Amino acid sequence: MEQKVEDLYLESYAFTTAAAIVGSVDRKIFVLLRDGRNLFGILRTFDQFANLVLQDTFERIYLDKEFAEIYRGVFMVRGENVVMMGELDIDKEDDHLQQFIQIPFEQAEKNLKIKQDSTIKNERIRTKKLFAKGLINDFYKSDLY
Amino acid sequence: MLPLYLLTSAKEKPILVELKTGETFNGNLINCDPWMNLTLSNVIQTNANGDKFEKIEDIYIRGIHVKYLRIPDEIMSYAKEQSLINMEQRNTNAKNRRTEGGNRNSQSHGGHHGYRNQGRRGGRRNPQN
Repeated sequence: MEQKVEDLYLESYAFTTAAAIVGSVDRKIFVLLRDGRNLFGILRTFDQFANLVLQDTFERIYLDKEFAEIYRGVFMVRGENVVMMGELDIDKEDDHLQQFIQIPFEQAEKNLKIKQDSTIKNERIRTKKLFAKGLINDFYKSDLY
Repeated sequence: MLPLYLLTSAKEKPILVELKTGETFNGNLINCDPWMNLTLSNVIQTNANGDKFEKIEDIYIRGIHVKYLRIPDEIMSYAKEQSLINMEQRNTNAKNRRTEGGNRNSQSHGGHHGYRNQGRRGGRRNPQN
């Protein structure tokens, strides 16, 4: 088949820049932030820095066997804090939650803090050990994703 | 509508700013710019652990330190309305300019006219922000 000019645009064109998410506007997406936060919301707008505006956002915490979520409303995320994002299949998005038990958000927050603190502590030890051998441990305490 | 433009609609409204360090600032948004630099008033600062609070009257936050902002739910619909109003105003302004411009062209030369027109446009831009 002959290729038309409009086939070169958007959907069929392999954008690797912020324009790649234009197809996800007004759809439910998942965003992972550098601090380890999981956000689920409707993508309303974005720009060239991947600054995102999410509406009706829920924040969800996953622990080993539990999860918790809380309504957060409208989020404007500064692009540089985004690790990854992707569109959700609204029919299947909650399927995996059957493996988890829902707990109150505050409790999950506390447990997560303990978990993250121990990660930071372990990484500090690792950094010291690696440094003694002349190696660099690529870890920053703000990177908890 | 771009995120930073949407933020201008949240002026005078209560917002929450979290910095990369985890500190949060709750206050009314006074002003913002294309770098996401913010000025807030009547601020409550919360430390990263969420157990220490401090009242600050006015604060300036440099955009580069921002992790995210949380803005009131109604901003989305408010911004939509505002952009519609702006668009209508722009249309009527454009119409007026066209008729005015036609009259002036028949009366005088273009040099002075161009300068005056520019000044006008600058003046009109303010109420839209």
